[in-house]
Amino acid sequence: HRFLQNQQEIKNKIEIMSKHGATQSGNALWAKMPKANAELFALTYGALVAELIRDYDDPVKINEQLDRIGHSIGVRCVDEFLAKADALLSLSPSCATLRETAEVIAKIGFKMFLGVTADVVNVSADGKAFSLYLYENPLTTFVELPSSDECEAANSCDLSHLQYSSVYCGIIRGALEQVNMRVECRFVRDVLQGDEVNEIRVELKEILSDGAGDDYKEE
Amino acid sequence: MTSQQVLLFGIVGKNEPLYEAEFNKLPGSTTVDSITRQNYFVLHSALDLVEKAAWATNNMYLKVVDKVNQQQVSTFLTAGNIKFMLLHSGRSEDSIRNFFIDVYEVYVKLAMNPFYQYDKPITSKAFDTKVRAAARRYLS
Repeated sequence: HRFLQNQQEIKNKIEIMSKHGATQSGNALWAKMPKANAELFALTYGALVAELIRDYDDPVKINEQLDRIGHSIGVRCVDEFLAKADALLSLSPSCATLRETAEVIAKIGFKMFLGVTADVVNVSADGKAFSLYLYENPLTTFVELPSSDECEAANSCDLSHLQYSSVYCGIIRGALEQVNMRVECRFVRDVLQGDEVNEIRVELKEILSDGAGDDYKEE
Repeated sequence: MTSQQVLLFGIVGKNEPLYEAEFNKLPGSTTVDSITRQNYFVLHSALDLVEKAAWATNNMYLKVVDKVNQQQVSTFLTAGNIKFMLLHSGRSEDSIRNFFIDVYEVYVKLAMNPFYQYDKPITSKAFDTKVRAAARRYLS
């Protein structure tokens, strides 16, 4: 019985791997992840952003804070991702090009943690940069940025430079840092600010060398 | 055309009105100032009666709470104690109830916006558009 079970598992894995990799893997992993209430998720993040706006006046600082928060999330997310992906799929060896990394982030990472997929577009000629198009953003389910005239009535709060979903940039940056890629990540277009699609631009700055950091350097 | 056709819809919070809109204003006609002020007066003076009626029933929809001359004030009380009030001169209770329920849905979506604080004036244009659309659907 155990033998048959193993056989079945192996057959499933081969099936999943043989179909076009990323999207199917993403869906399979998404099915196995514990789910949270989408509204609670959006409302929690919204409360966080609103509180940051009350604390800081400068939208650039707020974006930085969100990015830092995302960074903390990212370094933890990547561990979970590698653990789960490995367990389910005996994942093929690491990505050879940045494009593969981008596909994995877009189709598997985003799908697994958020339930939405992103598209990889605009891979630069030297293969060192790419853009992610996000069509659905679960963080902004109820959000409407107050227009500038509403803001003047309240207190001066210029929200036109606020990138509400900066946390995604931080997550990508943090996750890739743990796998030795230093990237710069920013929001180029934002649906909340009026554009048609959310676009995140990711640029590879350098490949870091493996190491445990300065504290552990041998003398 | 008399101002009888004009409906006044107001959302009143704990301390102050949060939103006001007039419906069915005939394009090109301007309501006389005194009539407008009278409408506001009638609507807001019904607030005490709303409180009284709220204790009498379990429902959110309080139907007609006040009648003055030819005008009636219907009210809908939200779960957060915000009062939707409509000044009209005789519409079917069902259409008013449906209108209030639609506005309630739009209000709840607005309340979920992290940038909107409870019991503050409503300035969102999207909200205004949706409320007017609901009015056109149920009240004209």
